[in-house]
Amino acid sequence: MVSSDHLNLVYDIKLSSVGPGHVTGSDVVHEPSNMDLAMKLHYLRGVYFFSSEAVQGLTVYRIKEPMFTWLNHYYRTCGRFRRSNSGRPLIKCNDCGVRIIEAKCDKTIDEWLEMKDSSLTKLLVSNHIVGPELPFSPLVFLQVTSFKCGGMSLGLSWAHVLGDAFSASDFINMWGQAMANQLPQHPVDLPKSFSMLVKPANRSQLATDPLSIKRVDPVGDNWITANNCKMEPFSFHITATQLTQLQAKISGHKATPPFECLCTIFWQSIARVCSRHEPEIVTVCKNERGSRRTGTLSNSAQIISTVKADFSVKEAKPKDVAALLVEHAVDERGLIESAVERDGGVSDFIIYGANLTFVNLEEASFYGLELNGQKPVHVSYLIDGIGDEGVVLVAPPGPKDSGKDSSEGKIVTVILPEDQVMELKSELKREWSIA
Amino acid sequence: MPQASPELSSSVKLKYVKLGYQYLVNHILTLLLIPIMVGVLIEVFRLGPDEILNLWNSLHFDLVQILCSSFLIIFAATVYFMSKPRSIYLVDYACYKPPGMLRVPFATFMEHARLVLSSQPKSVEFQTRILERSGLGEETCLPLTIHYIPPRPTMEAARDEAQLVIFSAMDSLLNKTGLKPKDIDILIVNCSIFSPTPSLSAMVINKYKMRSNIKSFNLSGMGCSAGLISIDLARDLLQVHPNSNAIVVSTEIITPNCYQGNQRAMLVPNCLFRMGGAAILLTNRRWERRRAKYRLVHVVRTHKGADDKAYRCVMEEEDPEGKVGISLSKDLMVIAGEALKTNITTTGPLVLPASEQLLFLLTLIGRKIFKQNWKPYIPDFKLAFEHFCIHAGGRAVIDELQQNLQLSAEHVEASRMALHRFGNTSSSSLWYELSYIEAKGRMKKGDRIWQIAFGSGFKCNSAIWKCNRSIQPPTDGPWLDCIHRYPVHIPEVVKL
Repeated sequence: MVSSDHLNLVYDIKLSSVGPGHVTGSDVVHEPSNMDLAMKLHYLRGVYFFSSEAVQGLTVYRIKEPMFTWLNHYYRTCGRFRRSNSGRPLIKCNDCGVRIIEAKCDKTIDEWLEMKDSSLTKLLVSNHIVGPELPFSPLVFLQVTSFKCGGMSLGLSWAHVLGDAFSASDFINMWGQAMANQLPQHPVDLPKSFSMLVKPANRSQLATDPLSIKRVDPVGDNWITANNCKMEPFSFHITATQLTQLQAKISGHKATPPFECLCTIFWQSIARVCSRHEPEIVTVCKNERGSRRTGTLSNSAQIISTVKADFSVKEAKPKDVAALLVEHAVDERGLIESAVERDGGVSDFIIYGANLTFVNLEEASFYGLELNGQKPVHVSYLIDGIGDEGVVLVAPPGPKDSGKDSSEGKIVTVILPEDQVMELKSELKREWSIA
Repeated sequence: MPQASPELSSSVKLKYVKLGYQYLVNHILTLLLIPIMVGVLIEVFRLGPDEILNLWNSLHFDLVQILCSSFLIIFAATVYFMSKPRSIYLVDYACYKPPGMLRVPFATFMEHARLVLSSQPKSVEFQTRILERSGLGEETCLPLTIHYIPPRPTMEAARDEAQLVIFSAMDSLLNKTGLKPKDIDILIVNCSIFSPTPSLSAMVINKYKMRSNIKSFNLSGMGCSAGLISIDLARDLLQVHPNSNAIVVSTEIITPNCYQGNQRAMLVPNCLFRMGGAAILLTNRRWERRRAKYRLVHVVRTHKGADDKAYRCVMEEEDPEGKVGISLSKDLMVIAGEALKTNITTTGPLVLPASEQLLFLLTLIGRKIFKQNWKPYIPDFKLAFEHFCIHAGGRAVIDELQQNLQLSAEHVEASRMALHRFGNTSSSSLWYELSYIEAKGRMKKGDRIWQIAFGSGFKCNSAIWKCNRSIQPPTDGPWLDCIHRYPVHIPEVVKL
């Protein structure tokens, strides 16, 4: 909950819609793949902060005008969900549009960032969900907030059913290109369905669900799950030097990739502070290089694997945990697709937070969105609609943060039940000097 | 098939009879003149050249008589030419093409309506039904302020829209014709709902720095037929002022028109009215004849305001909650039909060929004398005109006129397609339709065009033009990027 004096921080809210400038055509339908439907209860909330130099001279009209050409490429995001006769959701590409929110804030960008309160992000990006009326629920919300210093924040609220964080990031980056008049000439042809791209690893007739997903009670047309406890996000900035030290501490002479190092650290720390039970299984999401086409939206190009620990993680040596993460991750995408397919796409699942989930967003080009040739000063992404086990996101740092050596620092965002937050923070500080 | 052929042959015979009758009556003078001339020629040949010479010499002419007769002839000719009304030419016109960013797909319109009228689901349902049957397409445009939820119509936003639409159309027209703003002698702007002070015509004069002795007029409140009223006014002024240019700007500014209540009769305009505007250059300068596109032949204005029902059928008023909107009565189509009949009664004799007028007269006399239930003869206006531009007020209007005038689908194609692509742009819709016909390359020299517009009051106005030169499909204009997609089939009900 945002406290009452914070509610007035962002004001003068105006709503409008923006759709593709060209007619998509009547009866154009997109059928989400099984992987898309597995992700439908999740939402990405990204906020991009721009300094006043980057947005000089940008009126609302100048912001909206290129959107119409940009959305010609992404007409799918402008559609609305319907249910087919079998109950399986599909997107009718009827050009209804994305929702635009205009708002003002009386603080400067620096003052806002200094507040370091991740929960305030809710004011800068819409917390929409798809539903309760599917045909009238926009899939994407964009909030443009003007700050006192002349800077601007762009809040992207994205229904995960459209695509993963990499797709969302590419989507918004193309808007930056449209602003600079650098769009590709012809709209990228978005293929009808992605379900054939990834061959299921195991076509067995198992009736049990894979470990990475959790079947939730039917939510009907209101696409969000309720958590049993309040989830709180908080972020750490890990500099490049810190990262090298941590890598050394974990694996000694063997070089463990930075992502797996951070997963090890956080897995162990959470295992130690989690009072209810120790997380034995974690889900790891990573970008699958080479399987992503530019300009396409997909959920199938993100590898979702599970790692199961036979030993107690909180007592194990870090390098054993790291080795487990690197070598024993099992790609479960095929199983997930089969599980969704079994019910004809009608059942409701969650993936993020079904187990403690680590999402590798290092390769997402969050800072690729440029306005007036300038990168954002800060970008943060959260995932909404996650399960109670929590999520850890590893994202690239801002442009100021590149380390002197070849590796970069990272921004780690943790979303956990609020009762674990304080203990985790002290554990990380004590054991790993992360603050 | 043997059964069809006797009917077929009898209808074919009837067609030939009709054709023969039309040819006979329409060319009666020629047909009478020919035997007379033949008779005279035969007589001349019979008389021989000497006899004719003797006849000529026997006529005694002296100088005074010759001078007086020639003076009389010259005087009569001068009086004739001076009293002939000046020919009014339409040099060119330009229609405003709204950018793709202002377009309103059906889905967006309905979603916004649901959000704005969230407490009135029945009103939303009603608007959905109207939109499904409206005949509009997915590319019609509304101004920027109407895209907000809820819309925020302010005076400043209305002025912005007016500037956008009017200045774009004017720039395009000045570009096309090479006209300098200082050469404009008469300026008439018509916009029904939005009437600020200073007027829209003053806004145009200010923007283009026109001359201080320009004759400017601003017509407001006159509804969708105001475009033709402006043309009529321009024509009258051009009779009085020699060697002049007149610019007519016809538009309707949608921003103040946005009704935010829930009375059904007032929600219909929200579904149909869209952004649009046109600027037209008229002149009486004789040297413009070479490049002018059309010549104005007649303007016929009919006003049914004396009838209370007609007067009230399109009414701007406040609903019980105090929100202002335009209320359309249920009798609208009936009143429109009657207004059309009155207008045709005046227009018919001006344009119909003698054959049709004779038939109509005979049927009329027959009905009066014999008091039988003869069907009233509807003159075939297709003989009088090649092209029809029916104000795209809505699908019902076009259907009604198509039925009343017995027009084919091709005759009303321009109107239907303009409604589909641009929506009801009020007074400027006639110009989008004319532009469609030109874009399709159907306009040939000598073609006659009938523009019919209906408007609040209740008025039915017609303008009749004759095409001055064959017009090549233009390389600019509002239909440039989409004409290849037209005509489209417009379903009865669009499934939303």
